[in-house]
Amino acid sequence: MNEELRVAVDRRSGGAVLYTKGYINNVGGEEIANRAYELMNDGVRVLLLNLRETKIVNSIGISILIEIIEKMIEQGGKIGFCCLTPVIHKTFQIMGLANYASIFADEETAAKELGLAA
Amino acid sequence: MMPTAERQMELTLPMVPDIEIAAARAAGNLARELGMSSEKVDEMTHAIIEACINAREHSGCADNRMYLRFVGTTEDDGPRIDIWITDHGKGFDVNEARVRRQHLGATHKRGWGLQIIEAHMDEVEITTSAHGTTIHMVKYDHAHDEKTS
Repeated sequence: MNEELRVAVDRRSGGAVLYTKGYINNVGGEEIANRAYELMNDGVRVLLLNLRETKIVNSIGISILIEIIEKMIEQGGKIGFCCLTPVIHKTFQIMGLANYASIFADEETAAKELGLAA
Repeated sequence: MMPTAERQMELTLPMVPDIEIAAARAAGNLARELGMSSEKVDEMTHAIIEACINAREHSGCADNRMYLRFVGTTEDDGPRIDIWITDHGKGFDVNEARVRRQHLGATHKRGWGLQIIEAHMDEVEITTSAHGTTIHMVKYDHAHDEKTS
């Protein structure tokens, strides 16, 4: 039962896009956090998380995403999400993540709104 | 038409990391066999994941096992899945858990499992005592107004 999350990073002018693949649980959330904090320490202040290849999340993983958002906001940056399944979008809303980060239907719209190079 | 029991499955699973995925996949396969829509299956599987995590993290059971039963039936307006997840742990106070969540407020990051379960399922009933907890959840394929807890 290999549910290990994979994260790919695409550095762009204006920020970076993180592509996730797999289950965002406690371990997956920490993996995303590690990559996000590396980028933030490197001066990145705009992050887009593209979840198109993530179909399952849990509340612990989402709580870690909220921590990432809080740290980014503290540093004056912003985080967006795109390509969520309907149930992940609904779960983000239940837990209030949608109050702190922008959610976009697709990457093109997200990149434009966040000021990331396409 | 009286509902007919079409599929039934029982699982005993160890409380180990990521075992919730096995439970969710088993129930998802059963629901898809009955023709449940993918969005409803996704909601159901996310509720199962949270229920299994709650059992694993909070039950304090000695046998380190959770017991699952899935029953799929077809009604006039589509499939219905009943799910029971049982642990032999110490039980908990459901009302206290809800009040605690409300007091923590939206900014507190943990403790959302029960709210997620109730939002994703059509009916939720929790039976709990010092000898263990069973959560019975129902998912319909069609729009269903009734919500219980």
